[in-house]
Amino acid sequence: MERTEILAGLVEILKTVRMIDQDKLAFITEDTDFIADLKTPSTEMINIAAKAEQKFDIEFDDDDIDDLGSKVKDIIDLIVATKERD
Amino acid sequence: MEVAGRKVAIVGMGGAFPACKDITIFEQNLFAGKSLIRTWEETKAFGKNIRSNVSGYISEQEMDLEAIYSTLIEGYPETYVDHLGRIPDANLATADVGSIWAMLGSQDAIKMAGWNREEVQSAQTGVVMCSGSAGNTVLRTAWNSFYEKGQKTRLAGSHAVDRSMVYREAANVSCLIKNRGVCEAIGSACATGLGNIGYAYRLIKYGIQDRILAGGIEATSLESFIGFDAMQVLSKGFSPAESSRPFDVDRNGFVCSFGCGIIALEEYEMAKARGAKILAVIDNYFNNSDGDGNMFFPSFAGQKRLWEGLLAGHVIKPEVVKVHGTSTPAGDAIELLSVVDVMGESGYHISAPKSQFGHMLGAAGAVELITAVLMLEQQKVLPCLNSNNFNQELEPFQNTPDWDGPMNPINHYKHLISSQTVEKEINQIVCLNYGFGGTNSAMSISKHD
Repeated sequence: MERTEILAGLVEILKTVRMIDQDKLAFITEDTDFIADLKTPSTEMINIAAKAEQKFDIEFDDDDIDDLGSKVKDIIDLIVATKERD
Repeated sequence: MEVAGRKVAIVGMGGAFPACKDITIFEQNLFAGKSLIRTWEETKAFGKNIRSNVSGYISEQEMDLEAIYSTLIEGYPETYVDHLGRIPDANLATADVGSIWAMLGSQDAIKMAGWNREEVQSAQTGVVMCSGSAGNTVLRTAWNSFYEKGQKTRLAGSHAVDRSMVYREAANVSCLIKNRGVCEAIGSACATGLGNIGYAYRLIKYGIQDRILAGGIEATSLESFIGFDAMQVLSKGFSPAESSRPFDVDRNGFVCSFGCGIIALEEYEMAKARGAKILAVIDNYFNNSDGDGNMFFPSFAGQKRLWEGLLAGHVIKPEVVKVHGTSTPAGDAIELLSVVDVMGESGYHISAPKSQFGHMLGAAGAVELITAVLMLEQQKVLPCLNSNNFNQELEPFQNTPDWDGPMNPINHYKHLISSQTVEKEINQIVCLNYGFGGTNSAMSISKHD
């Protein structure tokens, strides 16, 4: 699965997270920071991770979620790594 | 300790009311003598597994709300959309339905009170409110996902706790209005609504706070309803409008209803100084426990002691006693006799607004205090619907050796209760509410001169 495809899937997930400023999703890149740029409350990161598991048909390790960074590329890296591992 | 000279005024009201768009429609319907109790279609989906099908419920649609369901857990409301844009999305994300009602009611109460932002966000402004809740959809579906379906906890997302914790309504209101004073929830079952307002009254009376949003909430919840249905204490065998019938000889249970009542309280001199419209002044609040070890059965002695505490050191001679009046066989009889024992046989009316909208559980005391304020404003006693025929025989407990109360049948006091709206001069109303565990609450309010 290409990273651009994963990014597009993540944007679809973020559209369902109403606490995120939806106008900013049009400009999202791998360098976008969920917390600093999208003003995502840190508590919402677990929702995003759980929805990513469902969308990409994967299961993250709890430790990986604990260590997850706040940039879009961090979760893309984790999705790629988890897919390769699975 | 009370601070001498400090009084507490009611300066604003808001909430959520069955089958009514707002408090104005609620007021109109009440004084028109309408019943707000309907058949609750949601219960019918469960066929014979559920006994009662009537309720004074409020749907999400009626409040212009819509649940957004999770893709991870079936039936799990991930958040709500407010189609009227009254509550920001960030606040909706942390709220269950009851918390949204509390936020909307608080907005209305603040608007009616005329508090400005500085006053609302002051360290002297508190939030004291709670529900009697026995569960909600958020908790049920989150638990079901984990326990029954064996799914990971994270599928419930980040908001199972803030949407189900005991003081969720107070917390959500506080986060919305950004007050800097106390934020607490006081639970006392069906006395919760009046109990929170009473506690808030004391905080102001004792000089701890100057303003408080206080009240009770009970969001529409089948999870709460079924517990009472299981106890077989809900009214059965009548049309919806006839199901709540306090004091009537044929009453056989209460109507489980839902709602929200929020009151804006303010130290009297402050409210007066800024030219606020003072809706009523609180004369006194008192609460106690039966002390007889009985979880459910009402106590004549406990209620008599409640009155003694309320009256002590105060001039209280109300024209109306707003009773708890649930429409249960034992509860109504004992309450009527305890009122008569203290107040005598004439000179006042008894009002039982549950006859019109049922028993709102944790919201009951707060919404019924709102009805009392409306009675003061309108100078009318609300009708006690369906109180048609009264028992002409003594109640079983009146024939026991321990009984030391009035020895007349309930029918002897029929003249105190009207099934029609009564116009009269009303200067003072006493409000009574009780709850499981033998908890009793009483508040006296007076018309502002």
